[in-house]
Amino acid sequence: MPGVDHCLQEAMAIPGAVGASIVDYTTGFPVATTGAAPNDDHEAAAAGTADVVQAANSRSLFVSAVPHDLLEDLIITTAGGYHLLRPVHTDFDGRLVLYVWLDRVLGNLAVARHRMQKLADELVAT
Amino acid sequence: MTPSKTVAPGRLLAQVAGERQTGALVVGGHPGGAVYVLEGRVIYAESPAAPGVGELLTASGRLAGRTWQNALDRGTATARVGRLLVEHGHLTQGELELCVLGATYDAAYFALAPQDAPADFLGGATHWLGPVVHIDPAAVTREVRRRAKMLDDIFPDPRVDTEVVTPITRPPRERITLTAPQWELLVHADGQRTPADLAFLLGKAGFATIQELRRLAAAGLLDLPGVRDKAPEFVRLPRSRGTAVDAHRPQLRPDNSPTVPVVSGVRPAAPDPPAPTALTEETSANGTVYRPPRLARRKPGAKLPKEVAGEPPPPHTGTDEVLLKRIRTALRALR
Repeated sequence: MPGVDHCLQEAMAIPGAVGASIVDYTTGFPVATTGAAPNDDHEAAAAGTADVVQAANSRSLFVSAVPHDLLEDLIITTAGGYHLLRPVHTDFDGRLVLYVWLDRVLGNLAVARHRMQKLADELVAT
Repeated sequence: MTPSKTVAPGRLLAQVAGERQTGALVVGGHPGGAVYVLEGRVIYAESPAAPGVGELLTASGRLAGRTWQNALDRGTATARVGRLLVEHGHLTQGELELCVLGATYDAAYFALAPQDAPADFLGGATHWLGPVVHIDPAAVTREVRRRAKMLDDIFPDPRVDTEVVTPITRPPRERITLTAPQWELLVHADGQRTPADLAFLLGKAGFATIQELRRLAAAGLLDLPGVRDKAPEFVRLPRSRGTAVDAHRPQLRPDNSPTVPVVSGVRPAAPDPPAPTALTEETSANGTVYRPPRLARRKPGAKLPKEVAGEPPPPHTGTDEVLLKRIRTALRALR
């Protein structure tokens, strides 16, 4: 039965993955972490992640451009890597995102997005 | 069970965690709560201000009330409620873990945030949910501190966290922007519900609820109690003159000079404050005790003194208060 730790293990198995975490974006709190984090600080990274998701979700108008539109994922590209954020849709109150940090050279964006979608769905699918 | 002592709950948690103990750290006060520790690791926490796993799962419709009750009936005695839900296919392991993690950090905030509170450690106590997650206590206390700071950064007024939520009736600006959770809170705030009531009603985390409420307060969309009292009231109604006394508040001092002109001359002696043990028993029903002291008589035609509304009513939203508020509204309508 895949739990949180298993999900993060699988995330780290994505080619090029350097670190992964599940972040509660209402509080900016890392619920679970593994591997490396930017500046070696998972908590600061989680707070930043929450800011980005909040900005995209509630402070900008992207997600309300079309009725019933929904944020699927966010990709932040830097010179050294990709930072991928994908909301995990739980039925209960949790407002969580799966965050994976990919190496720019070793990572493949399309593969990573596909795998993250599967992971986020499996975590909560019955 | 050791006698209750007033300590920083966070420090007591660090102590029992360092000794790798198993049991429950029970924190008194308002709202208080309990943190369950298994061999020095936090496995669960609960607080009256934070919906637990059962409330979150059933209020959201994720589990039917019957399913949850079934799991409780079968798993409580053996502390396997969480595992049963997964084994019977009602929840995935991932969902259960995420729900327990969220509920635990949420309740831990309310239990551990006070700097000093009466706290006990009940050695050997376990929780019926069973161990689902194992969290480093240091991470919990660190997160509690971070959350407290986060609230103060938004709007540094802790009254927002406990007082009845009253949205203002007319927005302060032409255009206001609300997020979906804020809308939900405002729609359900009826002037009677406290933040904890709203969290349970909506199945949202207690901390996330007060976080949104502080944002609303910062945006000037909530009527704060202190601010409201300063506003001129068109009808001034006498409020409690010490007739309804919060059980935990000291009784009127006997040497109090009467607030109204006395006809009879002699002020009756104030009743002795009852023993604390008797109090707790008496107040367990609704938290308020009605103990009418013999009132000084008012001269016919004498005006009520200004300080008539001295004592604020106790923070209690039972049926009595609802009824009183209704009567007040009706009286206002008559004027």
